[in-house]
Amino acid sequence: MKLFLSEGNPHCVKALAALEVTQAKCEVQYVNQEEKVVSFLSRPALPALLLPSGQHLFSPNAICRYIHKSSACTLPGSSYSVLQGKSSEVSKILQGPLNYLDQNLSKGKTTYLTGDSVSPADIVLWAALYPLLSDSTVQTGEHKTVTLWFNRVNAMNACQSSAQKVLQGKGLQGMKSYIQKQPAPPSCHSRDVQPSTG
Amino acid sequence: MAIRELSSLEKYLGLKKPNKYTTQGDKKIPVLQNSNGAPVIGLVTVACHLVREAKRPELLGDGAEDRAVVQQWLEYRVTKVDDCSKEDSRTILKELNSYLEDKVFLAGNQITLADIFMYFGTHSIIVDLSIQEREQFVNVTRWFDHIQHVRGLRHHLPPVSVLRNRIYTSRHH
Repeated sequence: MKLFLSEGNPHCVKALAALEVTQAKCEVQYVNQEEKVVSFLSRPALPALLLPSGQHLFSPNAICRYIHKSSACTLPGSSYSVLQGKSSEVSKILQGPLNYLDQNLSKGKTTYLTGDSVSPADIVLWAALYPLLSDSTVQTGEHKTVTLWFNRVNAMNACQSSAQKVLQGKGLQGMKSYIQKQPAPPSCHSRDVQPSTG
Repeated sequence: MAIRELSSLEKYLGLKKPNKYTTQGDKKIPVLQNSNGAPVIGLVTVACHLVREAKRPELLGDGAEDRAVVQQWLEYRVTKVDDCSKEDSRTILKELNSYLEDKVFLAGNQITLADIFMYFGTHSIIVDLSIQEREQFVNVTRWFDHIQHVRGLRHHLPPVSVLRNRIYTSRHH
């Protein structure tokens, strides 16, 4: 098993944190963010996990699940609806999902998303929210329970050290060059702005 | 659309009592109100729930590796294939075509939820392809044709004739 990462890529924080939480045996290799590790994809996709069979996993969420090897653990619906909004930089768009997450966390009365121990759902969601919630200058509104949960996961050694390694201690600034190279996130507007030449 | 897919899955799984679904938000995310507790939200989450209810765990993949691959393609279906532009659909076909080059199914050696939902999701793209394009993405069309002929799967979708019969042209009939 081998995990390919690139520096400054927030998705890599997720995969590395999953690896450090479980302390799974896995080789880690840092590559250039433009490197095409997964041959069948048209764009470079990192992180990528080389499986024992020779196949690659290219979805950071699937990588986290595989590393945890917890087939019984299911991501609750809440994580998916939040994840679908993850690519957006605008905290306004995240208001709905954050409210939803806040309600669910306070209703469930559990320490973590799916119970009283850390699951892949916590790691996946922590990393997805990391750019927003780890920076106190980003206004996301009042979400007391989410903040408590986020700080709890964020304080874990695995999370701290993986964020440190991938972002080289530069925090959000460390993601800058990665984000600048990404295509604009697909949104409902994308079709309207396409040139009509054809 | 998502609800029709879930009804087709129910029929394929042979679940006796059809579930009632509601939708949530602008994107019409399907919601299944569970009698014993929290609602199940989202196409993939509901589909996985139905598969477990029908006691067909093999549809989620055999072994940790296949299970991860199934989840990966289900995520790809929901995040990339749904609502893609025409330009994106060509990238998707190219990626799938290259991935399926040496494979019969998306994960492992049997049909999984990944094949079922990728088939549902790519149907509208494949329908619009010209004969030439269908031949250009031959690995996708081969896989697509295989999945659409799996017994009991093609409930809400019309069959697509994907490969030109090279031996007999219509003139010979």
